[in-house]
Amino acid sequence: MSKHRALFAAAALAAPLVLAALPACAQQTNLRIFVGGQQRPDVMRKILDLYQSRTPGVQVEVEVGGATSDQQQQYLNTVLTSHDSAIDVMLIDVIRPAQFAAAGWAEPLDSYLGSERDAIMARYLPAYREANIVNGKVIALPYFADAQFLYYRTDLLEKYKLQPPKTWEELSAAAKTILAGEKNPNLRGFSTAGAPIEGTVCTFLVPMWGAGGQFLNAQGKPDVGTAAGKKALQLWTDLKASGVTPANLAEIVTDRIRVDFQSGNLLFAMQWGYAWNRFQNDGDSVVKGKTNVVPLPGFAGNQPATCIGGWQIAVSAYSKHKQAAVNLLKFLSSPEISKMQAILASHLPVFAEVYQDPEVLKVNPWFQFARNVVVTGRSRPVSPDYPEVSEIIRTNINAFLAGTRSAEQAIADMNTRLTRVYR
Amino acid sequence: MAAAKKYKLSKLERDERRLGFVLLAPAAALLTAVVVYPIAELLANSLYSFRLTRPGYRFIGLENFTFALFEDDRFLQSVLNTAILIGVTVPGALVIGLGLALLANQPFKVKWPVRLGLLLPWALPLVFAGLIFRWFFDYRQGFVNWLIELAGFAPPQWLSDPHLAFVALCIAIVWKSSSFMALILLAGLQTIPKSLYEAAEVDGASRFQQFVEITLPMLKPAIVVALIFRTITAIQTFDIPYAMTNGGPGSATETMAMYIHKTTIDFLDIGYGSALATLMFLISIAATSVYLRHTKRDGGRN
Repeated sequence: MSKHRALFAAAALAAPLVLAALPACAQQTNLRIFVGGQQRPDVMRKILDLYQSRTPGVQVEVEVGGATSDQQQQYLNTVLTSHDSAIDVMLIDVIRPAQFAAAGWAEPLDSYLGSERDAIMARYLPAYREANIVNGKVIALPYFADAQFLYYRTDLLEKYKLQPPKTWEELSAAAKTILAGEKNPNLRGFSTAGAPIEGTVCTFLVPMWGAGGQFLNAQGKPDVGTAAGKKALQLWTDLKASGVTPANLAEIVTDRIRVDFQSGNLLFAMQWGYAWNRFQNDGDSVVKGKTNVVPLPGFAGNQPATCIGGWQIAVSAYSKHKQAAVNLLKFLSSPEISKMQAILASHLPVFAEVYQDPEVLKVNPWFQFARNVVVTGRSRPVSPDYPEVSEIIRTNINAFLAGTRSAEQAIADMNTRLTRVYR
Repeated sequence: MAAAKKYKLSKLERDERRLGFVLLAPAAALLTAVVVYPIAELLANSLYSFRLTRPGYRFIGLENFTFALFEDDRFLQSVLNTAILIGVTVPGALVIGLGLALLANQPFKVKWPVRLGLLLPWALPLVFAGLIFRWFFDYRQGFVNWLIELAGFAPPQWLSDPHLAFVALCIAIVWKSSSFMALILLAGLQTIPKSLYEAAEVDGASRFQQFVEITLPMLKPAIVVALIFRTITAIQTFDIPYAMTNGGPGSATETMAMYIHKTTIDFLDIGYGSALATLMFLISIAATSVYLRHTKRDGGRN
């Protein structure tokens, strides 16, 4: 009898312990973040390990997918249209927030940020603050900034006593001089994206902006048939005809430019910030210490321009752990993590002060002027139908670069189809 | 009165009929869920202006269809591209597949190397085949251009010239689909009685005469079935062009299925994408009905 009583007493004593332990188990939150192959999932893992060490009870898993912005988006389109809750947090390209807002895929963050909302948003560089607020709602928070720059080979320019070009005319002349002098059959003068991918949109917009052109006319309708639009296409015709660009420009994808430059086969490259770190650190890079970065050229008499890029972090509207996800978001979008990314991956910061950080500048000396480039960089057209806008531009530019469509045909087709989207 | 009585079912028959319905129900429910419902949803969506990037949707009747058929050059081009791919790769795969089947049907002592060679392209995932051939035809690092340069010619840009891109696509698709043809034809070859050839031999027919007079006529049913199967899958060509050219240059090598994918998955235009898918569905039905008519005629003859 007493035996039973003892057992009962033990059970009664143990019950609160067990009950106390239950919520502790329930507090273990598992989050999943979707990152593209180009956004350094290895660095993201290090950042998340830091977060997990500081936030007991939260485990974050990284899901990696998609080598290009488009492939990442295709995957997210399928996940999100099916209201899948498997992904809690995702990196999205700077061109996407409008679409995510219109489709209702991203959880608006205003109510989570509360009274701090304006103070938090005020810390970011203006272009990124604006890119993430759609119709007054905060759709995502900036993770890292990006812009296209002109990478060049310092050793080759010095050899021919040339200065880094400030205009497209200078770039063309410098490339011709060096190609003629080097007589290296594998060396090409300049490369940019030309395949039917997202980066090719900038291949058109950058020289168009650099010639003083605008995407939307005074009535707010798209018009690329301006003098600047024609000048942009003429630039690629000339560079291709003079053998400065690779003959297969229409097959070039973004990362191919990095590979070609890294293997010593390119003199100039129009490329995003991420490549710097690869050129300096990759084992197979033959351009280590022979590379520098300057702003992209413009046309004589006009302001040069660049496309701003960069990646934002959004919380899925279908996540089952929204509060935990927002907490993670605030951590990832902080000056501390911005600095960590700058050092580990040469990701451009989204906070002005991180550009001046001595430790950051030691690894990335070119960040000194990079801030000005990012601040003056231009956004690609903002539209909930951006994927279609992008597709119209890139297929036409791709066909034009491949020589299957004339400049006039490409401009006419872009204008007809863009007008329909903006109707 | 008498007639009505004649058709009245006995209790046993009624029970059996009820049991029949009960037994059919799971299969019918499954078919409704995975075939009837999605197709009905597709047809319904095709009548709406419905984009996930814009709130709400409204009924627009056949507007999506009239736009696709009369205004959308890109859709018509994708239909034409698909037709070209079918026109080249289906007969191409038949000729090569027939050759492979005849080879595999030879009385080799060791049969597995030929049979493995037959099965390998067929077993490879389509996207893999596309990626392999993309590198094969790469401008600077590709095997094909390496050979061409070795022979002393200027390397062509296979994938950014619309005509050459079609050639490259056709080679890849024929390589991938010939083995399927060969498998069906090999099965057909093995049903031809050996005695026919022995009789022809006795009559002094040459190998070529035997092929034309015995093999081809006896193989005709298998050839027709292989052609029809291959045509129906070719209408839906997606993976290989997607991996090799992504429709480029421009949209010169975009197939119907790729354009539908782009419209629906990338542009999130569910309404218009559904209308395009419906059109493709109708084309597939037309091709299938040719097949059904053929099999019915066969059945009648037997």
